[in-house]
This record gives sequence, structure tokens and C-alpha cells, in this order.
Amino acid sequence: MGDFKKKSDGRDEAAESHWQLGKAHRKVDAVDRMRGIARYTDDIKLPGLLHGKIKRSPHPHARIVAIDVGKAEAMEGVHAVVTGRDFPVPYGVIPWTPDENALCVDKVCFVGDGVAAVAAIDEDTAIAACDAIEVEYELLPAYFDPEAALAPDAVQINPYAKKGNLSKHVKLEFGPVDQALEEADIVIKDDYFFEGTTHTAIEPHCAVANVETSGVLTVWSATQVSHYLHRELAKVLGMPAHRIRVIQPPLGGAFGGKSEPFDLEFCVAKLALMTGRPVKILYTREEVFYSHRGRHPMKMHYKTGFRRDGTITGVAAETIIDGGAYSSFGLVTTYYSGQLLTAPYVFPTYRFDSRRAYTNKPACGPKRGHGSVQPRFAIECQLDKAAVQLGMDPIELRRRNNLGADGVTVNEMKVGSNGFLECLERVEAASGWQDRRAELPYGRGLGIAGSTYISGTNYCVYPNEMPQAAVQITLDRSGRARVFSGANDIGQGSNTMLAVIASEELGLDLSDIRVLSADSDLCPIDLGAYSSRITLMVGNACLEAARGLRDKICASVARRWSIPAKRVTLTGRKALDMEDPERQISLTEAFVMAESDHGLLTAVGNYDTPKDRHGSYRGGTIGASPAYSFTAHVAEVEVDAETGIVTVTNVWVAHDCGKALSPRIVEGQMEGSVYMGFAEAIMEQHIVDAEHNGVHTGPSLLDYRIPTFQDTPDIHSLIVEHPDAQGPYGAKEAGEGPLHPIIPAISNAIYDAVGVRMNATPFSPPRVLDALESRRTLEADGAIAPHKDHPLAVPEVA
Amino acid sequence: MLRLPRFGVVTPQTVEDVVAAINQPGARIIAGGTDLLPNLKHRLEQPALLVSLSQVEALRQVGRDDRAGVVRIGAGVTLTEISENHLVRQLYPSLARAAGIVASPSIRNMATIGGNINLDTRCRYVNQSEFWRSAIGGCLKSEGTLCHVVKGGRNCVAAMSSDCVPVLTTLDATVVLVGPAGERRVAIAEYYNTDGVRHINKEPGEFMTEVQIPVPKGPRRSAYAKWTVRKNIDFPLVSVAMRFDLDADSPDARMTDVRVCVGVLNAKPRLIRRTESLAGKRLSDRATVEALCQLVYKQSKPLENVPYEAPYRRKMIPVYTRRAIEKMLAS
Amino acid sequence: MAESFLLSFQLNGEPVEVAAPPHYTLLEVLRYKLDLIGSKQGCDKGDCGACTVQIDRRPVLSCITLGVHVQGREVVTVEGLTRPGMHPLHDCFDKWVAAQCGFCTPGILMAAEAYLSAVGRKVTRGEVAEALASNLCRCTGYTKIVDAIVEASELMAAEDEGKDDHRRAGNPSKTS
Repeated sequence: MGDFKKKSDGRDEAAESHWQLGKAHRKVDAVDRMRGIARYTDDIKLPGLLHGKIKRSPHPHARIVAIDVGKAEAMEGVHAVVTGRDFPVPYGVIPWTPDENALCVDKVCFVGDGVAAVAAIDEDTAIAACDAIEVEYELLPAYFDPEAALAPDAVQINPYAKKGNLSKHVKLEFGPVDQALEEADIVIKDDYFFEGTTHTAIEPHCAVANVETSGVLTVWSATQVSHYLHRELAKVLGMPAHRIRVIQPPLGGAFGGKSEPFDLEFCVAKLALMTGRPVKILYTREEVFYSHRGRHPMKMHYKTGFRRDGTITGVAAETIIDGGAYSSFGLVTTYYSGQLLTAPYVFPTYRFDSRRAYTNKPACGPKRGHGSVQPRFAIECQLDKAAVQLGMDPIELRRRNNLGADGVTVNEMKVGSNGFLECLERVEAASGWQDRRAELPYGRGLGIAGSTYISGTNYCVYPNEMPQAAVQITLDRSGRARVFSGANDIGQGSNTMLAVIASEELGLDLSDIRVLSADSDLCPIDLGAYSSRITLMVGNACLEAARGLRDKICASVARRWSIPAKRVTLTGRKALDMEDPERQISLTEAFVMAESDHGLLTAVGNYDTPKDRHGSYRGGTIGASPAYSFTAHVAEVEVDAETGIVTVTNVWVAHDCGKALSPRIVEGQMEGSVYMGFAEAIMEQHIVDAEHNGVHTGPSLLDYRIPTFQDTPDIHSLIVEHPDAQGPYGAKEAGEGPLHPIIPAISNAIYDAVGVRMNATPFSPPRVLDALESRRTLEADGAIAPHKDHPLAVPEVA
Repeated sequence: MLRLPRFGVVTPQTVEDVVAAINQPGARIIAGGTDLLPNLKHRLEQPALLVSLSQVEALRQVGRDDRAGVVRIGAGVTLTEISENHLVRQLYPSLARAAGIVASPSIRNMATIGGNINLDTRCRYVNQSEFWRSAIGGCLKSEGTLCHVVKGGRNCVAAMSSDCVPVLTTLDATVVLVGPAGERRVAIAEYYNTDGVRHINKEPGEFMTEVQIPVPKGPRRSAYAKWTVRKNIDFPLVSVAMRFDLDADSPDARMTDVRVCVGVLNAKPRLIRRTESLAGKRLSDRATVEALCQLVYKQSKPLENVPYEAPYRRKMIPVYTRRAIEKMLAS
Repeated sequence: MAESFLLSFQLNGEPVEVAAPPHYTLLEVLRYKLDLIGSKQGCDKGDCGACTVQIDRRPVLSCITLGVHVQGREVVTVEGLTRPGMHPLHDCFDKWVAAQCGFCTPGILMAAEAYLSAVGRKVTRGEVAEALASNLCRCTGYTKIVDAIVEASELMAAEDEGKDDHRRAGNPSKTS
């Protein structure tokens, strides 16, 4: 069912006959960006544009006693000032947890929380006006540790919280896990910590608003979820959605960091409505760090039982999630911290108990691999430890636990196609695992890890009966086509993906197609760029629309040629008779025929998710996806035992994306994912300084160090294609799955290199040295033998 | 966008005009701007007038002055130019090396040697926005009265973070200052003090026109050891410069004079004491190198001023010192 | 209040005069006064390279360069990388899909163009990584960018040779 008929190499049999699929495409919108012509949000200029700035709280937790905006309002060049009182309606991207206001109303919850905003003739005046706003605070105790925040006597942080500082608690149990652990031959127990990290898109958040004379409000924003922004704007501003237009201009990276509304969007809208003039707010880089919504820090305790043959008997996980000041997607994160772990390995029994706490920090949210990167780190390290204890090759141990295609997970998720075994084979072969691993000297090592990820979620964040995606395509006698889609191209190439599908079906060249996306006035609604949903969902909608048009065109041509419509094919900018290929006309001529028959040529496609693929228990829909991608990584590291520096030299990444509609773009997603995860493993940490009032330890691209060209490993992408019946041409996601395995793969490679387990990210030099020091003590006591016959020397200095 | 405060700018063409300009109230020199402009964006200074050196051709020369026995490097020479200059590469390889690994290539194309020598001290509690600092009540170097690095400390310990200064210190360089009273010369080792707020011994109204480095009189080896988390962009976290004068141009020669200088500790570069005990010994002798590393380790105590764990930085100072020597001997 | 400066410099091969306040950075002069939006603002203070332009053929960071600094100099921005057809760097970036979101791309192109023009030969992956070390990209893992620049270096070196051949052919007396 799940897998299409495949050749032995896993490729779709029809691949050779494709006109566009699987080719090395150029993106439809890259050249204007490269030439500096494309206008990103901050590049928008409008006559009379005012500049806005947001005043932020210098306290991590305080009650707002009074705000005096008088001096700011009186300043020359200041056009309007707003505070939280102007936005009394709370919002939240998850409708069940509306727990933040556009600006703080009664209290501030972290250093950087917005309290007021101004619109002025220029940025300098706006900054001066913010400085002139006087806020009186009454300080409250602040909590920077989730367990401290969950203490019974802790002061409540979030003003809308229902249970103190417990943001969400999910405990789900599948089967008799305690019994399974008791009966296991070995049980691996360990504690893990995944540090918070942030997205760091190079484009800072920016929004512009303008009000037409008709009263229609337009908001341009660097968002990856135009539709959810549209909804929340309507709610918070108290305006009907049909009086608001949301446009997402070309976007400079997102990674989950722009996947919900932010204060600046509400502020520009309100300030534009108040002043009647266009208003822009551009975050400073520092403000981007405060907006955050990045990877949740997670403290995880894992117990995993194994039989002697390496198969898992049960997994029990307890997780404390540090949520920051607001919910964001936290309800979903808390589920994902357990729900997305149940493939690619069979868990006969499973329990997870995850609690998300509010703390006085920038709110965490969805960063690439939302909620599942952290537990994946834990479980893949657990598997490695079991393999060592059982004396088994860790790849072999993974094979023995493989769920396979058309499987059902312990938490009742239905998995379709599954190329995980091939992923393992590909990285095993490409890395030279079998030959090299045993021979690498002390200090060098290889590590393996695998993972799975969703291709979109089966349910929208707000319950409704409407399709999850819709696309409209029109074409005409000019020979050009237009694809209208609400989907947000955030650099991942979704506009190109739509053009590839349309061109594949219609025989057009990519350059004959204009993709118009993410403008709520022009395009059908789409839910946005999150949970790796676009290729599968919007791709399916586009495929349906394109096929609708193709059928009309083929029928019109066939009628004139007096042959059955199925003999006509559209390819290479031509319509031709498959049984007599000499008989052909240009596509433009074919379009003329069809337009003569039908008038304007237009078709729509809709996509909705299958509703029979999730668990039958409360919460069982969360984590359910139409299709699951699979990934395996091998990381090669060099560990300098004297400095503790880990150098990741090579990463082999094999990813089952179902079908690579555009392989070079898929590779780019794989490479970018590896890079982002590698950075989390080795150096990144988004933390506040608990000793210093909870300030961010370095809200800049100097102090929040992200890897440069020279720091980045050589990344070898291996595309694996196990087409899934749910995806367009079998395609599944490629944007987030390939991130997951890199962190545990590096941890496991460090163990292979020098015999120490890194259970907390990042694997920084001081931590690696500490781990080596602990090992040295054990070796000196005779408790363990030297790793790779290399006794750890006593340091020469110190 | 993080904005600069308002100020005026003048672009004098000659050294005399620069002196006149910086003696106006609130005036301040700007050369490459790579250190100053981020600091101004953070409102660490608010000068009324910036005196740009960008049009002063006289400051952009590198030349050998055989009469004085020095090489003179104009304050306006960029770090890229220094790292590529054949005279510098030939006579002062450790300086070419240090200048060539500052921050990143684009920064080095802008940053000048004058700016690197006069680089302001750095601290995790200082090099932040005005808003950020307000959340911790400022500090000795900014708007406050407390030191966040040394609890109860009354002296600012922000770190001298220049790559070139430790090297120039080992090379016995001299800086040339010009002011209303004329020109004066200061040994670079005397140019700095331990007050991180104002760590440069320069009078108001003076500015640095050049640095002079004595031409080596005999065989010499030199090296610069540096560690940063990333291979680029970052300021140094471990920074050690070394110079070894030898009695012969051979790997087995005896040392006649040794200078080691460590940066990024506090405001003043630390010239390691008691290196004279190494005179007469050979660098090829492993025990000698270890003895040197021990001297460096004992006298170098990093603080939690720059953003990385100080105990680790301390541990790494002798490690990178030894590695730099090994690399130097191998080349 | 300090008055605006009248700046004159060469911009993308043409002389330009523009008045700007003295506290404007070069990036602000380009974006706000000249509406050249190709140079991007990413980090505010010289940490990311998105604002990279060339001054006198060297890549620099325009967000920490004062506007007045370019008085009398030659500035090239990404808008100056145009030519009939496609610049080899544009062509290779497009071919390799080296621009995902494209926000860092103009800065990377300016650093790459300066480097490739200076060395005038095919470069290695390691050399590209070293030369481009001022520029951060968050999308690509740098892999495809390096692919594109290595290929562009071959094309640009071949073009240079072609030019040399042309010069030699057109003016034999100066061949030496």
C-alpha cells in the first residue's frame, strides 16, 4: 500500500518519462534575490512611511504599575504611542492557549517583553520617544529554571495560566512498559539535557502596515504563517478578516522562528490605523533573540529495555520542558516530545510523561524539528549504549528494531512508505562504516543515528472542516500559466516545487509559470510553512488543479485530432499524440483550442488529510501525519583529547523523502538541516543569565555563535526515494527530518573516538574535557579499560 | 536597525589637521570603525564629532627606517595590508600572523593597526546594547557602579582583546603619539594600564600616528597562539605572543632573550615575568618548553569578563603556547 | 545638529553625489538615500556579512562603515554585478541553488567576486571557505555555495584568459 511499485534501486518506474520531476531545477525566484532586486519586507518603501519602535522591559518579572507616555506623545515627530491597554484581547497561535497580548497589559514576563510602541517620522525619533516613555514596575520573583517555576509556592508567571506555572502536562502510556522493562535483558537508564537554541534567520523580523482609503488594512510581514497571522490580527484588532490583507514578501529565512504572530505585526497595524499613515517596524538583531520561539530546553530521563538480540522491549521517558514566558506552540511541543519518537523503531511498550513549565525567559516554540529533536537525541544515544553493552554493531541493532513500511506505531500512528533500512545502508556504505570504524585510531570516530518526521500534521491548529490546502491555476492563449497559492515560500523553495508540479502536468517550462503566493487577497488560503507540510499538502492540491487543466487541454486537442484524449500528452512545451509523435502542436496552440472551448482556463485543487491514521485516545491526533520521512546519519569526528575540541569532519546523510521532485533543492534542505543540527550539537546555546536579572547572555550574532563556512563539516547528501501513496508523485518532507539524527550521531561518534558519553548539548570543549577527566579517574582506578588501547595521560600542566 | 547616535564628522587630510580637529570638544578619532561603530551603536560613547582618518594618506605607509633601526607602520594601515606586507612577513612573522587572523577577512580589510592597538577593552557585561545594560544596572565601564565580573571589585577588568598588541609587546614596539605639544613616543608595554575603563595611557588631544618595531638584530623565532570558538569572526579567548632571540639560526640554537605576552586577561596585556631564566637554554629541549608553559600558566589568570568559561581558558593557555612553539619549530 | 554631508564617490561604475547625515552608515546611505536595497541588514554591527559591499575592490561591511568613509572611493554593490546575460557567479549560484532564502546572498556574492577577481584562477573548496569566512548563511550549510563559487572560479578564470587572448590578438605589439 504505502510503497509504490519500485525498481530495485528504489526509484519510481516512471521516472524516465518525467518531463520535469527529478531534474536539477533552477528556482523560479532566486535570480531577483541574487541581483538585489527582490523586495523583502524591510525593502518596502511607501510614501509617508512612519517608523515604529517597541519599548521593552528591563525586568524578567514585574507588575506594570503605571506607564506614562505623555512626554513621548509630546515629542516633535511622534505620531502615535500604544501600550498593552490598546490590545486587551489575548492571542496565541494555538487557539486553546491564548496567553499573550500584543504588548504587556498588567505585567512583564521576561527581559525584552514589549510594553509600548511608538510611530514617528524616523527611527531616531522613534527610539528617542521610546526612551521618553516612563514605566513604573513592581518587581516580582523571577524563575529561570523550570523545576523552580513548578514549585508549589512559586509566583505565577503567565497572566493567563490555568495551573500555576505548569503550561502543559502530557502523560501517555502504551502497553505494560514497567513490566517490559523488568523483563528486559538489559535496561539502559540515563539523563539527558538538550540546551535551548534559536533559529537565527539572517533576515530580522519586519512588518509594514498601510490602510487604504476604503479602510482595508494591509500588513506585509516576514512571516511563515500568513493565514494564522491574518486570523490573529482580526481577533486582536477586532476587525473582520475581510478588512485585512496579509502579504508575505520574499522572506529571508525562518526555520520556525516566524511561525506565529509577533508584537511588531500588531503594533504596525494598530499604529497605521491610528495615524492613517504606513508604519514599519524592523527588529534589531537583539529583538530577534527576544522574540525567539526556538528550541525548548529539555531535561530528559530515559529508561530503555532491550533483549539480548538488541530488540527494544519498552521505553519510559520523563521530560521537563522549559517553555519560557508564553505558550507559543507549547501544547503541541509537549505532545511532540513523546508522540514523534515511535518510529523508525518498534517500541512494544512506551510511556512518556512530559511537563512544560513557564519560566521568565523568551518564549520557546517550534524550531526545525519541533519538539522531537530533543527526545531523538536521548533515544539514539540510548540505542548506542545498548549496542556497546550488547557487543553489537549499532547499525545492526537499529535494523533489528526497524518498523518497516505500512507499519503501525505503538501510539497508533499509521506509517506508509518507509525507506529507513535503505537510509541505513546508504550511510553505512558511503561512510565506509564497516571497514573504517574498527580501524580509526583513538581520537577519531564514527557515529550513527536515525529518525523519522512528519510531512505535515493531519489536523489544522484550529478545528475546521475545510481543506488543508488549495491551489488555483489559470492559463491562457499567451502560453503562460499562473499558480496561485497561499503557501509561504521561506527560502525552502515551495514556489519552485509548485512550478515543477504545474510544469510536469502541463508540459510548460518553469519559466512559463508565475507562482503568486502568500497574498491573502490574491491567493487561496493556506495554513503556512510549518511542520513540513507544504510539499505534500500544497503539492497535492497543485497536482489536482494542474491535472484538471491538463485534462481540459488534452480533450480539446484530442477532439480536433479525432483521437481519444488519453492519447494526447503535454510535454516539452508541446501537445503531442503519443501513438504518432510526429503529430504535435505548440502548447500555445493547444491552449487556444482549450480557451476556445471553455473560456478562461482555470482549475482549482484541494487537499485534505486522511482522517483515519491517528490514535483513538485523547491527544492521539497530535503527531499523526499523512506520511513520514526517514533519515539516517553517520558523523565522523576528531576529538582533541587535550583541548576537548570536537571537529566534525564529515556527515553522510541519507533521507527518504518519498520522491525528490527537485533533487538539488532536496539536497539543500538536507545540507541546511545537518548544518543547523551540527551547530546545536557543537556550539549554540540560547540562555539567560540567572545571576544577572535573567538577561540573555549574548543577543547578537557575535556572542550567539553560529558556524561559519570554515566551521562546517563536509556534508554528503544521499537521497533515498520510497514513494508514499499519500504524497504528490510519492513525495514526503525533506526540510526538518534530516536535522534530527545529527546531534546523537555526533555524540555517538565522540564515544567511538574517545570513549566518553556526551549526554548534554552543546558538546563544548570544557564539557568534553570534564568527561575525559571523569573517564581518566575511572581508568586510573582500574574500573574501566583504556578506550581503543589508549590510556588517558595525566595532563602536563595544571 | 540599530542606529548610530548623532554626531558630526570631519575628514582632515593631514596629521596637523587631525590634531586640530581632535582638540575640539567631544571629538574622537575614527579609523576603520570596526570597533568604534558597534560601540557607538551600543551607546558606550557619545562623541559630538568623529575625526575620520580615512583621507590621511600619510598614515597609510609601511617603511623601513634603517637609520633608526625600525620598521614604521602608519596607524591607518589595514590589518589585511599588514598581513600581506612583505617586510612584515619577513621581519615579524608573528605580527603578520596575528593581523591575518583577526576577526574575519572583511573586518581586516577595514580595521587598522592603529585601531587594533587602541581597541577598547571588552566585557560580556559591557559590549551589549544600552537597553541590555540597563537590565543589569550598568557597570563600572558603563552606566553603573558595580563590577559584575569581580564581585565587589572597584577596578574595571574588561579585557584587552587585541590580537596585535601582545605580539607588538613581544617585539618591543613603540607607539608614536602626536598632540598639541608635539610628538612623543611610548614603549607599547607602557602604553596600557589595568583600568579597563581607560586602559590606554594617552592624553586627551593626542592620537597615535604610527607604531615602530625594532629590526631584529640576530636570529629570531616568533609565534602567536590564538583560540576562538569559531574559526572566524570571534574575538580571541586565548591569546599568547612569543618571541625567542637565538644565538644561531638553527633549530637547536640557544635562546638569548625571550618575551611572552598574554592578552585577554584584564585590561593590560601581561608580559610574562622571569623568562630570563630560560636564557641559554634550547627550544628544542622539551623540558624547556614545558618550563616556559608553566611560567605562562602560573602568571595568566583569565576572568569571566569575555564570553567563555575562564577556568577552561586558563587551562588552554599553556596548551596553545606549547602547540604554537611546536608548530614554529616545525616550520 | 550636524548637517548632512555631500558625498561623492564612484558607485557601480558611475559617479554619484548624495547628501546624507554624518551618522549614517554606508549601508544606510545605500538603502535609505539611494534605494539600493540589495545590500542587506542582518546583524546591526558587523557580525554576519549580509551588508558586504566592495570598496576599492576589497569586501567590507557597510553596516559598520561610515558613509563619509567612501568619499572619493569606488564602491560596488550587488547591483553592480549585472552584465548582459548573467554574471558567472549569478549563473552558478542559480544552477546550484546556492541561494535558499537569498538574504545573505548579495553579501556573499560581493565577497566572492572580490576574491575570485583577485586570484583569477580556479579555487579549491578550502580556499572558498577561508575567503568567505566573514559571511554567515543559515539556510544552506554552505555546501551549495561552495559548489557554485568553485564552478564560477573556473568560468571567470576562463573569461580572463579569453580577455588576455583578445588583448594579445588585438594589439600584438604589446605582447610580451
